[in-house]
Amino acid sequence: MAIERIDPELCNGCGLCVQSCPMDVIRIDEKNHKAVIMYPEDCMLCGWCVADCPKNAVYLSPDKESPLIVSWG
Amino acid sequence: MATENLFETDVLVIGGGMAGLLAAIKARGQGVTVSLVDKGYAGKSGSSPYAFYFGAFNPAWGHNLDNWMSHVNTIGEYMNHREWTEILFKDSYERFRELVSWGVEFERDEEGEIYISRFPPIHTESVQLKKRVFGQVIRKQAVKTGVKIFDRVMMTDLLQQDGGITGAMGVAIDSYELYVFKARATVMCSGCASYRPSGWPVSELTADGEAMAYRAGAEISGKEFNEIKSTNADYPAVTMGMSLWLKETLEAQLHDAGPPQVQPIKCINAEGKEVRGLIGSNFMELEFEAHTGRAPLYSAEGYETRPQRRTGGAAAGLSVHTSEGIWPVNTQCASSLPGLYAAGDSCASMMCGAVYPGVGYGIAGAAVTGARAGTAAAEYALQADKPVTDEQQIARIKKAVLAPVERKGGFSPRWVTQLLQNTMIPYFITFIKKEDRMKAALTLVEFMRDHLVPMLFARDAHELRLAHETKNIVHTAEAKLKASIFRTESRGTHYREDYPHRDDPAWLKWVLLKEENGEMKAFTKPIPREWWPDLSRPYSERYPNKFPGE
Repeated sequence: MAIERIDPELCNGCGLCVQSCPMDVIRIDEKNHKAVIMYPEDCMLCGWCVADCPKNAVYLSPDKESPLIVSWG
Repeated sequence: MATENLFETDVLVIGGGMAGLLAAIKARGQGVTVSLVDKGYAGKSGSSPYAFYFGAFNPAWGHNLDNWMSHVNTIGEYMNHREWTEILFKDSYERFRELVSWGVEFERDEEGEIYISRFPPIHTESVQLKKRVFGQVIRKQAVKTGVKIFDRVMMTDLLQQDGGITGAMGVAIDSYELYVFKARATVMCSGCASYRPSGWPVSELTADGEAMAYRAGAEISGKEFNEIKSTNADYPAVTMGMSLWLKETLEAQLHDAGPPQVQPIKCINAEGKEVRGLIGSNFMELEFEAHTGRAPLYSAEGYETRPQRRTGGAAAGLSVHTSEGIWPVNTQCASSLPGLYAAGDSCASMMCGAVYPGVGYGIAGAAVTGARAGTAAAEYALQADKPVTDEQQIARIKKAVLAPVERKGGFSPRWVTQLLQNTMIPYFITFIKKEDRMKAALTLVEFMRDHLVPMLFARDAHELRLAHETKNIVHTAEAKLKASIFRTESRGTHYREDYPHRDDPAWLKWVLLKEENGEMKAFTKPIPREWWPDLSRPYSERYPNKFPGE
């Protein structure tokens, strides 16, 4: 949903997606130096990550899920 | 736990979109030191990247100022500040030429001439920015002139000294590092407000600058008006961003998701009749159709082969470009607080008024106000004293900034945001207003402000940013409700069922909000009589856009 996957085979760890994301959804994993989706629930489908990735490693879907309504959380 | 980074600068710019980058570059041009701080990446943040129409007024292109002014005066329903509207048009060409000189590309025709977009019957015209990349060209220019840029740092509080503003402080979005900027002058360019709606890529735009300034005692305005956009009801989160630069790669998926609202929209209502939202209208036709039970509405284009249901609220929480936020007390973008300036969608210049009148005004307005604010802030800084380092104030703010991380439990910012969205986004609160419903919403929003926001809990630095944004979202909801309740008439994008007509001359006024004794108070400023419509003309001539029942 929304940002779905960053393909580790294609990702070169350049960090452009981290820089581009206005919602801080993506971070670089310290161990393998690849981009990881840390906060997918905050993705607003702006598409910067897909547009800026030089390796076409990012997959975005038009679907976005939203949390169920709970009494407190 | 948290380290403090202390910086000194002559001018601090908060926000790195068109307005902020222009302010920073212009301030540097006056020879002062400039720091620009953005909670994302300056040049890629905010709503600036999505702009392409740039309204540039140029008599050499056959543009007539009276026609352009008359368009905004009428469509803005006399709420536009005419000095500012004229400044927008008169400064716009110089800003355009300057952007070109920095390497910003605009669309050209086959002969290499600048392509001018026309929108008959609207008089105003626009040039077209090459999409997406221009922010980074302007950022390069800022860096070249010596602006120091701090990315991924969110400012949360203004620093105050002797009734003036002496900088700001905040926290890095991926660590708990505090950033304190002592500045002789501060320019707020943090963009518009939103409730993080689906369908428009504005979720990071949470009225941060307006909220900070309001808490420091500034006057804010423009809150009762709205940006009206619709989105596809089946895939409501598909935004303009995806449409603008992902069309080629995601064509198949977007084909199913349908277009977000970029252009005037044609829809078919449940009775099979065509309904139109026009450029430069209050654009609320779809909301009125829903209210009268004629929803669902389907996009008229491709309706037979591929019906796409529409829904509204895609820009829920936004007021009108250039016409919300901090009230400027002069045409140099100074706020009522010495040392604080505002530009772009953070500055309630009221260039546009009660309705966004067409295309191209937002980004051009950001460039125009950014340039003025930066120049004026630098001039102020040149004669201002160096701010003192107020350790007590910094310590007090630091404690409050980190409080959501320090407490052992509380409410998640995402849950509180969702509550706020459920309360505010329904069309019958935000777009088709009525006093009893707005007061009901306000009761809940004030509960969130007093009981939930003070107990927000952040599990990490990312959530700490969400917590501060949620606090600001709750602020803007309160401001929009209070201004809307206060204005007892309808006008432009502020429509009330209980006061369904424009009320001239009683409401030829701007509504301002200010904190007094801990309460948000509303008051008015009169619109100069010379800018009033001719009251001897019948109402229907003064207001060609008819509300339901007119």
